[in-house]
Amino acid sequence: MPLKKNQSLNTARNTVQDPHLLDYGDSSVLIHYDLPAGTHYSADINNTIHALAQALRTSQNWLEIVPAYDSLLCQFDMSKITLSAAKSSIKKHIKNLKPKPKSTQNVIEIPVAYGGAHGPDIDAIQKTSKLSHKALVKLHAETLYNVCMLGFIPGFSFLSEAPEPLHHPRHATPRAHVPAGSIGIAGWQTGIYGLDSPGGWQIIGRTPLKLFDPSREDPFLIKAGDKIQFIPIDAKFFDGFSV
Amino acid sequence: MIEILNGGTQTTIQDSGRHGLRHLGMPASGAADKFSFALANWMAGNRWDAPALECALGGLHIRFTSDTTFGLAGAEMWAQVNGQNIKNFTAISVHKGDILTLSFARDGCRAYIAIAGGLKIPEFMASVSTYLPAKIGGIDGRALKAGDKLPISHRPREMPRSIPKGFIPNLSRHVVLRSLPAPEWDGLDKASRRHLFVSPFHASSATDRMGSRLRGDKISMSKQMTEVSMTSSPLIPGTLQVPADGQPILALADGHCTGGYPRILQVIRADLWLLGQIAPGSQVSFRRCLSEDAPQILKARNSFYNGLIDGFSF
Repeated sequence: MPLKKNQSLNTARNTVQDPHLLDYGDSSVLIHYDLPAGTHYSADINNTIHALAQALRTSQNWLEIVPAYDSLLCQFDMSKITLSAAKSSIKKHIKNLKPKPKSTQNVIEIPVAYGGAHGPDIDAIQKTSKLSHKALVKLHAETLYNVCMLGFIPGFSFLSEAPEPLHHPRHATPRAHVPAGSIGIAGWQTGIYGLDSPGGWQIIGRTPLKLFDPSREDPFLIKAGDKIQFIPIDAKFFDGFSV
Repeated sequence: MIEILNGGTQTTIQDSGRHGLRHLGMPASGAADKFSFALANWMAGNRWDAPALECALGGLHIRFTSDTTFGLAGAEMWAQVNGQNIKNFTAISVHKGDILTLSFARDGCRAYIAIAGGLKIPEFMASVSTYLPAKIGGIDGRALKAGDKLPISHRPREMPRSIPKGFIPNLSRHVVLRSLPAPEWDGLDKASRRHLFVSPFHASSATDRMGSRLRGDKISMSKQMTEVSMTSSPLIPGTLQVPADGQPILALADGHCTGGYPRILQVIRADLWLLGQIAPGSQVSFRRCLSEDAPQILKARNSFYNGLIDGFSF
């Protein structure tokens, strides 16, 4: 594990190295963390990003604070602070960040009907992974995922790395219509569609829960920084959930 | 009340947008050209951010069901009331039954019609702005169509007024955007860094409120950049991204909150309003701005217009 190297450099504090601050036009700074060589995701880095996002939100100087997998966008109010003041404020927050920040403990259980009409691409992944349907579902559902970021469309939840046998490239040509609640795989990522939309992810299942529902008081079921636990359900119970 | 007789190419209800929600995957939306929108409201005697109509490319016909006044700003669309030509960037008084028609856009893409008092539309997450992909805001989250009836609110307001000389913006089919480097700028190959600022691009037919696909000289990233696939990272309106085909995409008001293509340029804040006036076929040029100049340009623009439009900033 390349992480070991960082640990020896920085054992007392944190396994995560200090990030780069990149200028993003005149009103934003992008905080970018280098991933350990040869990896595409680090839970430590993502947890640090969400903790940093939370710390920065205490200030009124920011217009948008947008966490992602290995980066964090901070758009500042140019009428309140300058670019250099924004950067020093970010540096201060990075320095004061508690070692080993934990992501929020909010675990959300998501019922999923795997395969069949709700997961048309599960056969393709079964073939490449050489797993039985049952083993594949178990492998996907027994992993506790981090919600790394929301993006693409409202509520679309980008989750942390899926177990390696499930990794699968996107469709070469995106589908014109993917129903809301579909659970997909794209490369090493897994995610949930918040809305009906076109999309290229390999769809393995679908949840009857609405990730984005404008009629709810809080339209968003999932926030970046939450954890997701999938619960496999039988397809015949799918409609019963749709309330 | 006003009645839509023809929705035109795409007419939506917009205000200043819902901000601070990008971490939920929700773009701000709002008037694509916030400046022309604010001027239309100012002329109608409204607060600068009152809900108004945004008509893209033209074709909108509306009937007024009572005497009122409206402000017209943005792209020139050969507007007429009852068949009589009216001037863009003016406030017009109309009577019950009068019909306003917009023809096609000439020097820009979007016209704004602000009715005195402002449209009375229920808010969603503190804004009435229509965001079509999520079907929220406006009327059922969709573009307006024939038969829609929109109530007008009757908040206290100023008298309608005309824009003083020198305050009317110049719109053109050639949009010049002052820009600064975005996070992946360093990954551009050397020749592309030159091309980017020399030859203009054309906005393709894939131009809407989400973004504009540009056509022109191929822009390439250095070998190193193309070999690794980028992890999705945040995006904001005014970012120029380069997909593998080398034809850049400019993100607009409804643009995705995250993306996976290298971000090479960011339009400065003072010029963001111009993004809303890029029509399919417009020429788009990028000009390099000095990072120390950008805040000064913004400050100068804001202080010039602040005296006119209360509370507005670019």
